[in-house]
Amino acid sequence: MSRIRAIIADDEEQLRKYLRSQLAEVWPDLTICGEARNGQEALALIEQYRPEIAFLDIRMPGLSGIEVAKKIAGSCWVVFVTAYDQYAVEAFEHEAIDYLLKPVTHERLERTIKRLREQIAPSHKPLPEVSEIVERLMARLSQRQTQQFLQFVRAQQGDGIRLIPVEEVYYFKASDKYTLVITKDGESIIRKPVKELADELDSQKFWRIHRGTIVNVQCVAQVSRSVTGRGVVRLKGRPESLVISRQYIHLFKQM
Amino acid sequence: MDNLCMENLCRERIYQLDARTALVGLLYTIVIDTFIALFLTLTGIFPTTDTVTVKTFVIMFAISQGYGISTWMVIIFLFWACKPKKEASHVFIVLIGIACGILLGSLMRNFILQQIFPTHIWEWQKTLLRTIVICLTSAGVICYFLYTKRRFKVGKEMMQQERISRLSSEKQALEANLKLLQAQIEPHFLFNTLSNILSLLDTDLGKGQAMLMDLTRYLRTSLSKTRGRTTTLGQEMEMLQVYLDIFKIRMEDRLHYRIEVPKSIKGLPFPPLLIQPLVENAIKHGIEPKVEGGTITIRARKNGGVLRLEIADTGAGLPEDGTTGFGLSNVRERLKSLYGDSGRLILEENRPSGLKAIIEVPYVPD
Repeated sequence: MSRIRAIIADDEEQLRKYLRSQLAEVWPDLTICGEARNGQEALALIEQYRPEIAFLDIRMPGLSGIEVAKKIAGSCWVVFVTAYDQYAVEAFEHEAIDYLLKPVTHERLERTIKRLREQIAPSHKPLPEVSEIVERLMARLSQRQTQQFLQFVRAQQGDGIRLIPVEEVYYFKASDKYTLVITKDGESIIRKPVKELADELDSQKFWRIHRGTIVNVQCVAQVSRSVTGRGVVRLKGRPESLVISRQYIHLFKQM
Repeated sequence: MDNLCMENLCRERIYQLDARTALVGLLYTIVIDTFIALFLTLTGIFPTTDTVTVKTFVIMFAISQGYGISTWMVIIFLFWACKPKKEASHVFIVLIGIACGILLGSLMRNFILQQIFPTHIWEWQKTLLRTIVICLTSAGVICYFLYTKRRFKVGKEMMQQERISRLSSEKQALEANLKLLQAQIEPHFLFNTLSNILSLLDTDLGKGQAMLMDLTRYLRTSLSKTRGRTTTLGQEMEMLQVYLDIFKIRMEDRLHYRIEVPKSIKGLPFPPLLIQPLVENAIKHGIEPKVEGGTITIRARKNGGVLRLEIADTGAGLPEDGTTGFGLSNVRERLKSLYGDSGRLILEENRPSGLKAIIEVPYVPD
């Protein structure tokens, strides 16, 4: 039986060294055929050497450890390494995927290696459903961790580009080809049309009240009917009021 | 600011005439009118029949109610129509109501008396002064009752609201403190640093010890700062330097940093850990995700009464779709609680790459 080979991927050199020395003590027969400093390097190493095992740090520049695992699609056994990631660890437990917590302890490493040896010994082939597991893992993690909604808009201001957090915006208003962004500090112009904004913003916090107007619900002081019977929104801290078109008046009816 | 707002709100609420108050007022009017009718019947101030009988009381009752109810109705109508805000206009409305009430009530009185005693000529002008005095007195009593009752109720509500807002602000302060504590010893940072130290103890003892000292210094200063209210800008920069030094050992050539703070402003008082989250962001979202790493530059300068701090990185910047959250709301909340509206946090794109966070706070020149 040929020697079992592994790669180590971590963006911090000391952590690669440390894992390597730990592995040398606990599993002297294991050959470390390469070290990667980021996701792309890890991918390249795996393709080049076709190792049996990959120790992948989760937070890496370029590609994350989980993304690498997805790309290699079950061509080797993966052990994720992380310093602290509550959600990820929960997800690993759930999917019975191997993981190590930094700083890696002897006992924990021994347990992982014992399991790896058992899995590798009989067939020399990783389980085919690993890629499926990783895919489920990613879905679970992206659900928990990333926010799907637009958080910032880019606005030209002076000769720089200002990033305006959407929670600071009173309302967005269409104006010719551009969109006006009204905040406490005044007006700025962005290129993103109101229609696109309406799709990308959190519809719980931003209501489209007109074809060309999206208002931050937090900034609404009062909703009333004008003399002509149209709905009108009065804002907190702004003098102007905004007209609600008939199409969107239902938003306020349930209140 | 909030207090003023609250007071105005309170005033407005006292003067508002809601349906409930209108009904209660009507009830008061009817009761007091009944007493007046009884009083007038017994004293004979307005003689109608020759002898005092039940009939006299019934006539008096009808007349009094005519005055009272019409006065009150006019007042309700005027409140509803004008929605007055000032105290003076309330008094004015009540006076107009009384005048109209006297007119309408007198007309009704004449009508009633004419029906009962068709042959008698009633000269209502003769009793006008007495009518006015009685109307004013009873209206005054009713309005005073209503006003004090409402004031008492609004006052109670205000007290309750104040208690709620005080409790919730205490809770907010506690939460902010907890977040601060979590921010400075972010577990990912702590465990990664500990792993590094463990490794260095094997390979490079001197460097490992240095890193352990850095970590100890960082934890000691930041933990003691959570309890203190202010520190100086210079001390804050020293702490950030230790923090960045730890990352420098971990990330080696991928991280460079510069701190450019003039000596003259190092003694300025500055809130602890206000910009630490911004430096953490620059590493976590700027330098760490970028394969080749980058430079973090911290600059401070004073300009008039404004102290301006810049934390710029040449890292990955904001993703094109702008959907990443940075946890900046925490910083913003602290700015607001420390400086109200005069503290600002601005985020800009850095050139040629990365992000630049700018904090502007007022300071008092010596």
